[in-house]
Amino acid sequence: MNEHRRQILQMLSEGKISADEAERLIAAVEEPVAAKPSDTGPSPAGKSRPKYLRIQVDSEEDGGQEGPTKVNVRVPMQLLRAGVKLASLLPPQALHSANHAMHEKGIPIDLSQIKPENLEELVEQLNDLTVDVDQKDAGTKVKVRVYCE
Amino acid sequence: MIPFVAVVSLRNPESRTFRLWIPLVLVKLLLLPLGILLSPFLFIACLVCRVSPFRGVAVMWQILNALADTELEVEHRSAGMSVHIF
Repeated sequence: MNEHRRQILQMLSEGKISADEAERLIAAVEEPVAAKPSDTGPSPAGKSRPKYLRIQVDSEEDGGQEGPTKVNVRVPMQLLRAGVKLASLLPPQALHSANHAMHEKGIPIDLSQIKPENLEELVEQLNDLTVDVDQKDAGTKVKVRVYCE
Repeated sequence: MIPFVAVVSLRNPESRTFRLWIPLVLVKLLLLPLGILLSPFLFIACLVCRVSPFRGVAVMWQILNALADTELEVEHRSAGMSVHIF
């Protein structure tokens, strides 16, 4: 990578390219490094576009005979996108019933106001989602991790 | 990417693992006649619910295709199961 940068600077010093062109070239050369996905754990926001939503649950009972239970689910983000499109196909009667039920529970959300672009935005925001839950009570240890990778 | 194969693994208490490979393309081909037979009823159901049947079919197709790379694993000391869709 340093070799590429050196060549670009060399071309700049020789006057073959302008400073703006050199800047664009260096940015283009460095781009693949920034976009390289990490192999361990959730990727930091902005580095690469996550492809999967990972849900991991580890449950263990202290002194239990059954041993630990592990759940590992990987859901493609594409499936979430397709799923929210399915939600936009809900018939008006069903939306009305759902709105009514949510209002009864004290949740003031009007589902008929949610547009497909809003749902798309919602899925996009999941990219930065990381949920870690550690619970220890009554002899049970539960660890839940939800993140995008 | 269209999912081609689903691999279902089941592990019983004797630690014996059964692995089942399901060719999804074959399953889709087998279910195609059933889908064609049911399509008039689905069309009417969509019209009754005021949902565009074409949009409904498009979304269902997208969901089926988006299933590729889905993983589900449940492990326990005595048993376990996993489903991988490729």
